[in-house]
Amino acid sequence: MKRLLDSNLEIFVDSGFIYLPLLFDPSIETETQILRKTETYSETFEPQGAKTIIETQGKHFVKTLNLESLLANYEKIDHDSYVQIRRDCLSKFHLFSEIENISADGKLRTILFQVMPYFIKTNKGLTRKRLGEEGILDLIAEKINIPQRYYEEAITFLNPTVLQKLLKDVEKQQSIIDPPENGLLSALKLKEWLCHALEAQIVASEHQRLKKVLQLRQQFSQIKPKHMGILLYIAATGSLEIDGFGFSKTGSNGEYIVYKYTGEYILKDYYARSYLFPDCRVAVPISAPFRPVVLETYKHPFLLHHDEGQTICLRNFTPPNQFTADNIIKVLEEGINTLLYGYDSRRRNGCHSLDRTRMHVRTIEFDDYRI
Amino acid sequence: MKIKQYIKKERAQKKKKKPFRRDIFNKISGLVCRYELDNGILKRLDKAVDYLPEEKTISGRFRPKISFKFPLFSLATKEEYHLAMAIIQKIDNPYLQFAQSLEEMLLCQLLYRLNPALSHEQLMQYHFETLVLEERAKTEKMKT
Repeated sequence: MKRLLDSNLEIFVDSGFIYLPLLFDPSIETETQILRKTETYSETFEPQGAKTIIETQGKHFVKTLNLESLLANYEKIDHDSYVQIRRDCLSKFHLFSEIENISADGKLRTILFQVMPYFIKTNKGLTRKRLGEEGILDLIAEKINIPQRYYEEAITFLNPTVLQKLLKDVEKQQSIIDPPENGLLSALKLKEWLCHALEAQIVASEHQRLKKVLQLRQQFSQIKPKHMGILLYIAATGSLEIDGFGFSKTGSNGEYIVYKYTGEYILKDYYARSYLFPDCRVAVPISAPFRPVVLETYKHPFLLHHDEGQTICLRNFTPPNQFTADNIIKVLEEGINTLLYGYDSRRRNGCHSLDRTRMHVRTIEFDDYRI
Repeated sequence: MKIKQYIKKERAQKKKKKPFRRDIFNKISGLVCRYELDNGILKRLDKAVDYLPEEKTISGRFRPKISFKFPLFSLATKEEYHLAMAIIQKIDNPYLQFAQSLEEMLLCQLLYRLNPALSHEQLMQYHFETLVLEERAKTEKMKT
């Protein structure tokens, strides 16, 4: 498609269809002649755009693509080009905004307000209280140094008039692009028309998005600007780490991993010798089935190899498939407990034994951890 | 032969796979595209009856045949199509389909005039220039 649009070909447009210069061989020429004869008879009865071959100024053009369909499917036809046009268009109308992710992304909210409070220490002294959403955001503000610009953005964000004005602007920009006039057209002109039409389409789709965003923002109308700033910061960075608990966004598909540091711990072997295991992160990738993994390059009796991102071997554990805070907490705890307390020195359970035995062919040795 | 056997034999022959051969249009259209030829080639073809220059008429000269991969199905623009058809009409001899290059296309008429009875194997194997030189050498020998 890109080659066609960048070429210097002459194109014919008729009733919303692109007609490209016809290429010949003897059989095509014969067919063209037959078609020409039949079409002269049926011309008056044919609906517009039904002609397969058009002859104009001694040139033959053959019917190819429907412009409407080309527009509708351009994202699939030439993805890179579409992304470029979209990016240019959004920056032209200042429509970049990732903040609605925080409200639209239910996963992030669950991790932030339901999973995180379970793992971080919030109690001071003897007081025991469960933190609400605001309390959690206050705690984050205490522990994390959030750049000032996020608080400034929060003020703009919470002001609905800004978005309403943008929405009106977009409505003004929205225009229905008519298909190009019937007749000969250069490929360059077709490309220009296509860009305009795609822009109009993108703006129309953004209009819907902005409407949705406005509705979502109304949910935040009660929130304090300070808290909003924190949410904006989390939405922009996609990761957070407090008191050994954290989460981060992986890739561009909006998936997260939730992790917790184990800290250093000691396991004993059959002869009651101690082995000091280094700190590591036990994580749960937020994609079903949920299984605990160790992020770092790590070795342990319950890990098959000495590698990174290994799943912890768990017996009698059915990984949950549903994303809920309880399931995430359960899987994380299960993983940490297995590493810290799962090994039985008498039974030498797990994939490897801490002490050397004559029974098995050893693949992983733990002598370097011995203290 | 019984009619039943005859029909069976005929059907078996029809079913037999025939090797695909590029037709003359595919070849000439391929050459037109490859050498980006224009209508000037038609004038050159008129003058190409004695195309072989004098300095090239050295006996024993052997030119390897260039092998050019022609497209299976050649599609040409209208101008290229008409030019290819004009070349086919102008040369109009069976040697044309063995031409693998512009030079051979120009020598085609001369070669056909010198010897119209060359075998397909010869035409496929040797460059037309070699064949022309051979034919000339033969006629000179005859004269002497």
